[in-house]
Amino acid sequence: MSAPRYAVSIDVGGTFTDLVLFDIEAGTVAELHKVLTDPQRPARAVLQGWRELLELAGIEPCQVAEVVHSTTLVTNALVERRGARTALLTTPGFRDVLEIGIEQLYDIYDLFAPYPEPLVPRHWRREVRERVSRDGTVLEPLDESGVLAQVDELVAEGVESIAVSLLHAYRNPAHERRIAQLIAARYPEVTVSLSSQVAPLIGEYERTSTVVADAYVKPLLRRYLADLRDALQAEGFTGQLFLVLSSGGVTTLEAAMDFPVRLLESGPAAGAFAASFYGRLAGHEDVLSLDMGGTTAKACLIERGTPAVVRMLEVDRVHRFKPGSGLPVMTPTVDLIEIGAGGGSIASIDRLGLLKVGPQSAGADPGPACYGLGGDQPTVTDANLLLGYLDPANFLGGRMALRPEQARRAVARCIAEPLGLELDAAARGVHAIVNENMAQAARTHIIERNRDPRSLAMVAFGGAGPAHAASVARILGIRRVIVPLGAGVASAIGALTAPLAMPFTRTYLTTLEDCDWSAVRDLYQEMRAAAARALAPVAGEAALVETRAVDLRFTGQYHELRVTIPEELELSAGSKDALEAAFARRYREVYGRVPSGLAVEALNWHLTVSVPRPSFRLAPEPVGPPDPAPALRGERSVYFDEPEPGERRCTVYDRYRLAPGMRLAGPAIVEERETTVVVPPGWCAEVDTYRTLILERADGEAVE
Amino acid sequence: MGEARVAGQGMAMPSFDPVSLEIMWSRLIGIADEMWVAILRTAVSTIIGAAQDFGCEILDADASSVAHSNRSMPVFNLVMPTVTHGVIARYPVEQMRPGDVYITNDPWLCAGHLDDIALITPVFRNDRVVAFTVSVAHTTSIGGSLDRRTVRDIYEDGLRIPILKLYDAGRPNETAFAFIRENVRTPDLVLTDIEAQLTANGLGAERVLAFLDEYDLPDLKAVSEVIQRYSERAMREAIAAVPDGIYEHEVWADGLDEPVYLRCRITVRGDEILVDYTGSDRQRPRGGINCTLTYTRAHTAYPLKCLLSPTVPANEGTFRPIQVIAPEGSILNCTMPASVGSRTRTGWHLHALIFGALASALPDRVQAGNGLMHSIHVYGQEPDGRFYNAHFFTAGGRGASLGRDGIGRNCFPSSARNVPVEIFESRTPVLVRRRSLRPDSAGLGQWRGAFGHQLEFSPLPGYPLPVNVFIDPDRLRFPPKGLAGGQDGPCTQVIVNGRRLDPEELRSGQITLERPDDRLELHLPGGAGYGPLERRDPELVAADLRSGLVSPERLPESLRWAVERLLEAQTGVAVTETPR
Repeated sequence: MSAPRYAVSIDVGGTFTDLVLFDIEAGTVAELHKVLTDPQRPARAVLQGWRELLELAGIEPCQVAEVVHSTTLVTNALVERRGARTALLTTPGFRDVLEIGIEQLYDIYDLFAPYPEPLVPRHWRREVRERVSRDGTVLEPLDESGVLAQVDELVAEGVESIAVSLLHAYRNPAHERRIAQLIAARYPEVTVSLSSQVAPLIGEYERTSTVVADAYVKPLLRRYLADLRDALQAEGFTGQLFLVLSSGGVTTLEAAMDFPVRLLESGPAAGAFAASFYGRLAGHEDVLSLDMGGTTAKACLIERGTPAVVRMLEVDRVHRFKPGSGLPVMTPTVDLIEIGAGGGSIASIDRLGLLKVGPQSAGADPGPACYGLGGDQPTVTDANLLLGYLDPANFLGGRMALRPEQARRAVARCIAEPLGLELDAAARGVHAIVNENMAQAARTHIIERNRDPRSLAMVAFGGAGPAHAASVARILGIRRVIVPLGAGVASAIGALTAPLAMPFTRTYLTTLEDCDWSAVRDLYQEMRAAAARALAPVAGEAALVETRAVDLRFTGQYHELRVTIPEELELSAGSKDALEAAFARRYREVYGRVPSGLAVEALNWHLTVSVPRPSFRLAPEPVGPPDPAPALRGERSVYFDEPEPGERRCTVYDRYRLAPGMRLAGPAIVEERETTVVVPPGWCAEVDTYRTLILERADGEAVE
Repeated sequence: MGEARVAGQGMAMPSFDPVSLEIMWSRLIGIADEMWVAILRTAVSTIIGAAQDFGCEILDADASSVAHSNRSMPVFNLVMPTVTHGVIARYPVEQMRPGDVYITNDPWLCAGHLDDIALITPVFRNDRVVAFTVSVAHTTSIGGSLDRRTVRDIYEDGLRIPILKLYDAGRPNETAFAFIRENVRTPDLVLTDIEAQLTANGLGAERVLAFLDEYDLPDLKAVSEVIQRYSERAMREAIAAVPDGIYEHEVWADGLDEPVYLRCRITVRGDEILVDYTGSDRQRPRGGINCTLTYTRAHTAYPLKCLLSPTVPANEGTFRPIQVIAPEGSILNCTMPASVGSRTRTGWHLHALIFGALASALPDRVQAGNGLMHSIHVYGQEPDGRFYNAHFFTAGGRGASLGRDGIGRNCFPSSARNVPVEIFESRTPVLVRRRSLRPDSAGLGQWRGAFGHQLEFSPLPGYPLPVNVFIDPDRLRFPPKGLAGGQDGPCTQVIVNGRRLDPEELRSGQITLERPDDRLELHLPGGAGYGPLERRDPELVAADLRSGLVSPERLPESLRWAVERLLEAQTGVAVTETPR
């Protein structure tokens, strides 16, 4: 029996579960596999995929050193309201925090813009007597017998999980902790989530929303993860099982069970890490990640080789993906934007007679018209088929035949005829508008982060991404597009590249002038202890690596800038000047000017603790001759808008036969099993030493 | 793709294919959004950085609006063209130079009170003005009185900035800056916020130029004309769908010393609409409750836009078919030297006037009376000499409509957001003892209003006393009105140490908390109901009862009986159902 030399990554998405087998020693992706997700019993589909993957590769479970897992299970449980019967305990006077929200119109002209239902109904939101002030002073002690009386009632009513969110608990968690002890002693089977542990941040609505989401999914996720662990062990797997966090780091199974809400953006975060990895491999530290699937696209700005991590995301947006229409969750999350633009996005004509695409999606069922599964609305995939970008006989490697006739009928009936356009003009419009939607959202995302899109390269993946990438890039003024091999399962590959790292945050609002530095040192001590507990089982002998940062702002501001605390800086009264100087530098960088005479205040103090992990690397292959003729598959007619709109003959290549060093010129199509790469006129492409396809806009062409 | 090129080819003739137009339109809105984000992130005051009380817009060279940010304060979008026209009247376009930036807070030209400062930046291409980028933001201080309810004229409202060049061909106007600095509280915050607006306008100008270059357009004229035509057509079609006729309504607002009577007569003829406020009360000498005509127009056009054409992006074209008349000297068209600081006490009632008038014509779109947003201001000096100064926004509930309970969780007709209790407490010596939904605060009906809020404040224990709180409440006298047989909401209650104050006692908005146990309570109204309560679905009534926010005594016998039967039938089921 050889030593374990493989790693397996499993990404459970809404439609497909992607599996990747990676040979750590050889530095090669040994096998890829895709099975249908089983929404009811997700562990079963994972297990089936696992068995098939290993069988395809001819290896034994004991040869797998680690499994890295990302999943949409948590998100789906929230969106579909399939979580536990959950209650909330809170401070007197604040029972309705979830229902009051931030009180903002997120669409100023829509008198009826809806808000999501709270996860906990009012009769299960209970107040317990206690009060803590802004500086953590106990103004009123906790009424312990009152807590137990409330919990008795709730459990009798069938509550399975309890969230606790008390005012200023981020400052003094004693009452929350005591409540957890009281519940555990009497009802050990009831799961408890504390706001001071899940999201110890100032802002009662966002913190409560977060802890409630955590409590809501906890019983479900714990069951699933325990099932999965037991099943894999029963198969003979003896290695480590890691979960991908929304922040992009990976964590242990046990830590994931403690805070399930941290897994919300597990899959998209893994995708962003894939983009960073392939970006770096191609020599680009600053990239735009574009991950376009069936229902949505995710765009993410990556700077200095790492996706940015923000502290909030919104789930279950109930109104056309609009920010503000969902439930906020304060948890470190890769900073990405989700756009209602996927292969299944439906094209329609609005009241003004303008063409719109998305955010409604035909999904997998009934799917695009060309699937022939009963869908009659024209989608992006239908337009792509009519334009010649997709080969009807080669979709999903030929596993699914597409029906151009159905696509033509849907586009003609719903778009071309009402607008009085030619069929191909209508299809071009659909393609152009979905590209514009993605570009617009990506541009706002990039510019809000103070970057010029033109300074970036793009990494494109997901089933639909490579067909749209070059056009989106052109709108954004991006000249280079990187398309990894296996773009259809790139998220699963990304999970393998993620660091074993856990982020911790504590709020302590103070001006730097008045800062109690010993309190800050205590916060760090506490975070360090939590990190050590969580990471000890996997760290072994390895030393933990720490990074500290603090969110600073001018007093009165609501937007902070994160400033890294230099490694050698001992936090003490002397730190004020150093931190202020670092803040001023960063401020000037971002905004161009620094106002004078304003006090600087600190809000959130961050600690990221990571464990060195064997780095994921791909082995380079020798570069051969540039002639792509050996990979030529044929020719077909394809529509392009550039330089003049029209149909032209276009060469088609087999992605698997494109060897390192080969170069091709657009217009061209490159086909692989799960995706199609479109190389428009004016672009050329080169296969690099890792078989990544690098698309480049020809020199001399004007860029916006 | 060729949409860009198609646009370029079309420049001689102002017509674009639907695909190119959609793309260009989105881009212009995107530019306005970028301006908005720039202000949000660089502003230093709570009112802009937290409560988001500002707006950004792109105008063409004729000062017609082309696109505003999706997140702009609604009323600001409407006044930016007016203020830009004012600038052009004072400084003709031909005399403008690159690097000029204009400023004013004139309530008659801009947003109706001095607190809203407009910055107007002409955009130059080939030595010609091709567009304007404009922002309006609610400054954190414009001087004047802290107690808005006692103000007697505009001079007590604060500093009035006439139309000035804040920058003259790139050179800062030091005189203007000095005048502002010496006349406002916390001048660093005020001036830094003005810098934020400059940054946004500059960014917007740069993006507009890049846009013109990309599409090979000489200026915004062609695209702006087409966009405006689309929006105008959408509005005209929506108006045409409203039956011709005269629609009238009247409402009472609290006023200050005495109630204010407001009336409107809406004439719909073909695809045009005329809103005439003749018959409304005269302007008032005190309390800043007067609206300038600019502000009145904005608060008329905004609810009409929501009712008639909610999904089409707004611009000059949207509002062309709407005409507004209010007699000079009336409270909706006040003249100098009227005080205008609290003009929302009057202006926020205009949407109710319009909804009420059009209720028969648009029964499925109007909403019953709104509990309205309230603001609490705490200002004072710390023992160490520094000043604390914070606003606390909180909403009443909105009214119900045909087929829908009222939607809470927003400050309509403002797009501001609330301030978290934990943040408010961190910045003031005030303990917020309660912010919860107020039981029985919703007007009932077949569809009920959203619930209002209940708030309770006291001094932070151990803090030097007294603590001053400034309030400016609405709905003390007149509750949100029900529609189509729905019930009214309740009135606002201001309760100090257990005693409810009547409107006469609130001529000043200053509440002084002198002792550690002093309590200020605000009970804000929810929205009013729509349709007769007897027709309410017993399932919904059961849910209301279960929430504890509706008392059974408020229900008629028949409905109570129906609900009891329903609950009997559900016994054992209701407690185990999955919470939603």
